[in-house]
Amino acid sequence: MHGPTVSMIDEDLAHAILDIASRSTPLLAEVRLENRISRSIAIRAGQVSSVSSSSDVGMNVRIALPSGIGFASSNVVSRSEGSKLVKDALRQAKKGKRRSPVAFSSEPPVRTSWEVRQHKSLADVSVDEKLEHLQSIDSAVMKTGVKVQGRYYELKDWEVSNYFVNSDGSRIKSFIPRIKIEAYNLISAKGETEQSFREWAASGGWEKKDEWNLLEVLPDEAVMLKKQIEKGKRVTPGKYDLVCGPEVVGIASHESCGHPMEADRIIGREMSQAGRSFVSPDMIGKKVGSEYATVIDDPTVPGTYGYYAYDEEGVKARPRYLYKNGLINEFFQNRETAAKLGVQSNGSSRAETYLREPIVRMANTFVAPGDFQDDELIGSIKKGVLMNSFTEWNIDDKRYNQKYVSREAYFILDGELAGPARKCTLEITTPGFWGAIDAVSRKIELSSGECGKGDPIQGMAVTNGGPMIRLREVNLR
Amino acid sequence: MNRLTELAERVMESSREAGATDAVAEVIESYTQQVRFSNSQIDAVNSWTEKHVALFVAVGKRVVSSDVRDIGAAETIAKSFVEMAKRTPPSKSYGGVASGKFKYRTARPDKRLIQLKNPARFAYDSIDAAERAGANNVGGTFFVRHDKVGLASSGGARGSDERASSDLSVRAFSQAEASGHAVCCASRLSGMNAVKTGERAGELAVKAKNPVHGNQGRADLILEPLCLGSFVQSTSDMMSALRVEISTSMFVKKIGKRVASDEVTFLDDPTVDSTTTRLFDHEGVPTRKNVMIRNGILKTYFHNTSTAKRFKTRTTASAGPLIPTAFTFAAQPIPLHPIVAPGDWTKDEMIADTAHGLYLNNTWYTRYQNYDTGEFSSIPRDAILAIEHGEIVGAVRNIRVSDNMLNFWKSVDALSKSQEEIYWWDEAAPPSHLPIVRARAMNITRSS
Repeated sequence: MHGPTVSMIDEDLAHAILDIASRSTPLLAEVRLENRISRSIAIRAGQVSSVSSSSDVGMNVRIALPSGIGFASSNVVSRSEGSKLVKDALRQAKKGKRRSPVAFSSEPPVRTSWEVRQHKSLADVSVDEKLEHLQSIDSAVMKTGVKVQGRYYELKDWEVSNYFVNSDGSRIKSFIPRIKIEAYNLISAKGETEQSFREWAASGGWEKKDEWNLLEVLPDEAVMLKKQIEKGKRVTPGKYDLVCGPEVVGIASHESCGHPMEADRIIGREMSQAGRSFVSPDMIGKKVGSEYATVIDDPTVPGTYGYYAYDEEGVKARPRYLYKNGLINEFFQNRETAAKLGVQSNGSSRAETYLREPIVRMANTFVAPGDFQDDELIGSIKKGVLMNSFTEWNIDDKRYNQKYVSREAYFILDGELAGPARKCTLEITTPGFWGAIDAVSRKIELSSGECGKGDPIQGMAVTNGGPMIRLREVNLR
Repeated sequence: MNRLTELAERVMESSREAGATDAVAEVIESYTQQVRFSNSQIDAVNSWTEKHVALFVAVGKRVVSSDVRDIGAAETIAKSFVEMAKRTPPSKSYGGVASGKFKYRTARPDKRLIQLKNPARFAYDSIDAAERAGANNVGGTFFVRHDKVGLASSGGARGSDERASSDLSVRAFSQAEASGHAVCCASRLSGMNAVKTGERAGELAVKAKNPVHGNQGRADLILEPLCLGSFVQSTSDMMSALRVEISTSMFVKKIGKRVASDEVTFLDDPTVDSTTTRLFDHEGVPTRKNVMIRNGILKTYFHNTSTAKRFKTRTTASAGPLIPTAFTFAAQPIPLHPIVAPGDWTKDEMIADTAHGLYLNNTWYTRYQNYDTGEFSSIPRDAILAIEHGEIVGAVRNIRVSDNMLNFWKSVDALSKSQEEIYWWDEAAPPSHLPIVRARAMNITRSS
């Protein structure tokens, strides 16, 4: 035994609580039961720093009345606690006093079960085996001869079982395991430093770690950052052609396409926390980028960190074309935003755990592939920069002004890479970024991340990425 | 000994009987109510009930922590984690848990807050007040929190704590790009002033009307406590000894060195009356006032027993949660209630004394290029007011503070007499007591 394992969910209990909730004849009642096993091990400078293992069981009830929405959750699982949650949620829904009555889009009831299979179950991997993997990464980084301080590596995994029922007749059972490795390194050379925070994550079992090849990737990163320090030169401020690698394309897709296209932001529900959006409901079909700017969010990509088959409201997941050929095309919708905007939900409702209300979220957001080879993008540039990855980044709360500072970048001269460009900075508007694209390569790469939104903030498993893209004549410094 | 402490003791003793050489059990019961509102109406009323045991066990240097959610089976589960610890590879740097005869103050939570049944009215009071002040669209959150804790450790700690608190965050818009943000934190219901908070957010929203594009270059910045809170969050987090050890801190090897201007004294004091008043840290050590920076000189890092041993010093009673959270590493010492000591200025004096500057209501998305060096940027939001020759001359938008955090603290030359407890979302967190500060000649950038 390597810690707790996922136990069975009491489906009858969920039905019984739904029956109680349905007595109040709500617009909608939902009940979710969840079992969650989580484990983590962290090493610092090659030695064990912490080990944790937890098991959680809990449930929530959400009730919608015309006057408001009430949500109550608890980690006590029993019929009496369920009755209490129903009472709380109902009382809370009544106190909303909405001026515009609550409405949800009509969605077909679903009766199904889905799961992500593991070739090697995370529950069967010993702490020793996990430690050995992290220590072998640490050894490989040390063997580079690069001075790497910090060296904090953490491996986390979760297995989550869910049973969801609602008053529309949906009954959905699910199981999803996820695994993640985080790496914090500080590279020193010539009295200067560069920092690297990286994350790799997926849905699936222990086998997923092999796809990341961290025994090569992290040492390569250390060597690369040392070269950035030793040979990197600052960019003379001015206009350049810019090739963005998949990691940079991914963060831009997430921040300046994904977030502004969340319908709850667009209608203002996140206004006091994560903010609003430069996009308004009447902007469908409006130009935001060049014809090469097509950004998709697809929760159904197998094995990805952001994978899910049905969302938290029981709506089937599907790809969403957010920007399509430079035009604003489709917002992320849950059932409430869809009803407000007169459309159907596109399965965008997610919650971090049973303890939190479901809200509109991204999953796997990426730029659609084009027909160029990566080399062709670089080869076509007379004077420019290749920005492969980023460190500091941020964007304003309307998702219009963004900044990316490179972790790995190179000058391009006459179609060839011409040495490291250090801390190259792109500070640009959203239409400025997406409108400057004139070429997109074929090969897509995805990176994982945690997206923060909601109050209390909910960290959500997502991936971002795309192929390489070329931007013409943007200001860099 | 109360019910939670008794349970904590049983779980801790159960761990010891199974072979644990060190054990800390922290039983936590919490009930949280939240009202979320936007577009001047309530979106949802949420509540969360949690009963769990945060458990840490060590067998020699073999350590395991766990969040035991099945509280009824906690004693049995604790034994299984001791067995797990026995098979876990050793953590050579583990330095034990605090031991001693600890005495704690007495918690006095406000019963009126605990019994509050209709939190929605605070949301509507703040909405109405903001609209009366000139806003046309108001959003925010109102939280009521009630936490009970019982802790027992193999080092002799036995304690209970109880906190009740409320916090209100109001963001008001007068135009699509003109907003103001105000917060109120109260450990007693009588201190929760929803009307004043809404009014202030509305007034700022009016001041922020018709913003023009801001300019790049140097400007003096006057930061409201809410805005400063975001900088305090990352600054205080980097004072954690674990962050120093893993080189994600600008304070590495800076004890005794200048890290701020003479005017800056930075404390951490969870003993003051606040929404995060606590009697003991997560190891059971009685909390206390720590001076982190005195007159610009870094005096200490945040320590728990284990990091203190590695740094050859004493714990600062800053042990963080026994289990890793979304924003802390496992076993990370943490700030519990940061305080920037007040100065002797008024806000009006600061503005009058500023030739070319910006008055900042709030900021978000403070991100670092490199924690080791402190290069960062942050995006001011809500009211950004331009100051020229000692007067506010209008509102600004679309700017970014792109500078260095050590340079920011070294550039602080004025602090207000007044202080305010602030907390907002996960930007200005944890709750802290802060004055208004002015930092000279900070670098402003914008999109081009």
